[in-house]
Amino acid sequence: MTAPHAAADPLLVETVGRLLGAAASFEAVEQAEADGWCAPAWDALAEAGFAWISLPESAGGSGGTLTDALAVVRAVGAHAAPVPVAETGVLAGWLAVAAGLALPDGPATVVPGDVILRIEGGRLRGEAVVAWAARASRVLALVDGPDGLSVVSAAPAVLDVTRRTNLAGEPRDLVRFDVAVSDVELAPAPADLDRDQLLRRGALTRIVLSAGALEAMSQLSVDYTHQRRQFGRPVAAFQAVQQHLVTAAQCAVRASMAADLATRAVAAGDGAFEVAAARVVVDEAAVLGTRAAHQAHGAMGVTREYPLHHLSRRLWAWRHEHGPAARWRRQLGAQVVAGGADALFPTLTG
Amino acid sequence: MRFELTELTGTERSLQNEVRAFLAAELPRGSFTPGLGMNAAKDPAFSAKLGQRGWLGMALPTRYGGHDRSAVDRLIVTEELLRWGAPVGHHWVADRQSGPVIARFGTEEQKQRFLPGICRGELSFSIGMSEPDSGSDLASLTTRAVRDGDGWVVVGRKIWTTWANVNDWFVVLCRTSPVEETGDKRLGLSQLLVDLHAPGVEVRPIPFIDGTADFCEVLLDEVYVPDELVLGQVGAGWTQNTSELAFERGGPDRWLSTYLVVEELLRSAVDAPNGAAGPELADLLGSAVASYWVLHHLTVSIARAIDAGGSPSLEASLMKEMATRFEQDVLNAVLALTDLEPGLPARSLFEQLLVTATLTAPSFTIRGGTTEILRSVAAKGLQPSARGR
Repeated sequence: MTAPHAAADPLLVETVGRLLGAAASFEAVEQAEADGWCAPAWDALAEAGFAWISLPESAGGSGGTLTDALAVVRAVGAHAAPVPVAETGVLAGWLAVAAGLALPDGPATVVPGDVILRIEGGRLRGEAVVAWAARASRVLALVDGPDGLSVVSAAPAVLDVTRRTNLAGEPRDLVRFDVAVSDVELAPAPADLDRDQLLRRGALTRIVLSAGALEAMSQLSVDYTHQRRQFGRPVAAFQAVQQHLVTAAQCAVRASMAADLATRAVAAGDGAFEVAAARVVVDEAAVLGTRAAHQAHGAMGVTREYPLHHLSRRLWAWRHEHGPAARWRRQLGAQVVAGGADALFPTLTG
Repeated sequence: MRFELTELTGTERSLQNEVRAFLAAELPRGSFTPGLGMNAAKDPAFSAKLGQRGWLGMALPTRYGGHDRSAVDRLIVTEELLRWGAPVGHHWVADRQSGPVIARFGTEEQKQRFLPGICRGELSFSIGMSEPDSGSDLASLTTRAVRDGDGWVVVGRKIWTTWANVNDWFVVLCRTSPVEETGDKRLGLSQLLVDLHAPGVEVRPIPFIDGTADFCEVLLDEVYVPDELVLGQVGAGWTQNTSELAFERGGPDRWLSTYLVVEELLRSAVDAPNGAAGPELADLLGSAVASYWVLHHLTVSIARAIDAGGSPSLEASLMKEMATRFEQDVLNAVLALTDLEPGLPARSLFEQLLVTATLTAPSFTIRGGTTEILRSVAAKGLQPSARGR
């Protein structure tokens, strides 16, 4: 008997996969890197409302569960689609709705939870690397002010935005905040919302994106090695190559299970342990998985003409976003030490 | 290849708590020397107690002394026993694989004869697969059984037959038809239930790398095996044996062999007067706990798939290959961190575990199928997508 748990809607998963298969083609992803925006993929997802799943319809969202929203994010990862779906709904939209601010129109983004922005003397100040800031309609953030933690929603036009990209060529702009409080929307953060929670959600989006990418990368490696022939045989027939395929598949399997577990825990309202653990699992899987996949592909994999780099460069980039994995690892370990030896097994089977 | 997310039910959680409470009461920490996973000590009295609790042969039919429980229930019990370092040696092979294959392929008479004893923790089994010249290439084995009246006469040698010097029975995979007749070395093999005390059976201990002597060689010199001890079909041994290997590969015994080393490292660090828990320890534990956590859930997923009627043998191969490498990796991380110079006699439980783990770790990625063989098996489950074809 399987215990009840909320799985993602299979029809949704299939629909999003089909949409992105067409809209996030190899050419579209390449073009987005030059343009800083992937209109076909964003428009396809936004028109169907897929960027606002898990936000209540009463607030202008698309309804549905966090699990459904993250199933869309996973497909975005699998297709290497350069669109701020995770930022718009699961992060910025969630923060806006939680604080009773207006849900932004169009793409929105968020300042990661480990960045400290402060209100002092009526001005909001600070600096952050923010995904797709220049293309977003609003930038959401948690800020420390005289009255405690607040949620801010700012138009990029009032901020100093310098365009940058991550290793995958996805916009990761440098944003300097030095703006009068009267020029932004501001609301007190609800009592049950803190930086850790925002950071955890941010990390969860990277876990889920990476799980999608690792699954796609494993399959791409299997496909390629069955087509590519050397010594008169498909290279997948060689045991030495099969070992790389198995390693890539194992990385995908571990990341996938970790992403499922972390998603379930956060959807149930907690997830502090699961997100940290999943972050560590996915980080290791990203390192070992990309190495195995590249080795299986040979020189073809390091060209821009073949799609492997769309996945591998993203996996390398996402390791560092919303709290670097090394920090999550150390914090998780410190919690384990604090729990003591007798709590160790109950924790990891919890 | 798919590992579905699953969750333990309330009843399963209760079982987990029940086993934890039993172990804390029956084998309190400090009252015994814990072992490392399935290499733990052999203690028939302890196995009998597990049998009384209904925790052996759990997934076997009630009418043969089993409990008609699920693979997940059995996993919960074995996971707790292994992580406690409980003495599981006496019943280990019988409970994990001999019982299940007898239940699946055995005759009614065989089930009545063997299963109740296995479920009580009395009857012990060894594994009769490997031979001096047949390891990874198991089908090349040369132990043969020749027809004689209403039975078979077996001649050959089996090795790596753990505890054969004290166990009761072993399941022998042997050739009953020559390859020249079958045309395929995987055909013409059969499984026989062989009494380790039968005339013609000679057991010789093979000293193991850590100095223990439960590793054995068994010589079979014209051992008579009556027809009623043929397991399953004559000639179907290879298929039956493959299903036995699936029982052997997908469980928690593949990632818990060095768990207690990590737990004791943590205990000694927390107990140290100067608080030796620095950032390096935190990094090690953060990494280890994340891996244990995901391996635990993958194991539950495999057990759940078995309960749903699936046969996740490729998944089990993929799992065992990575889990056993992890057992070694986490041990090496501990060795790289500790100030201890391991030696004997051990001055602490941590040192004892560290010594045994270091010496026996190479076997983790060999027993039950080498890393290399498992990768070949798992690779068969990695097929091109429609796009790739």
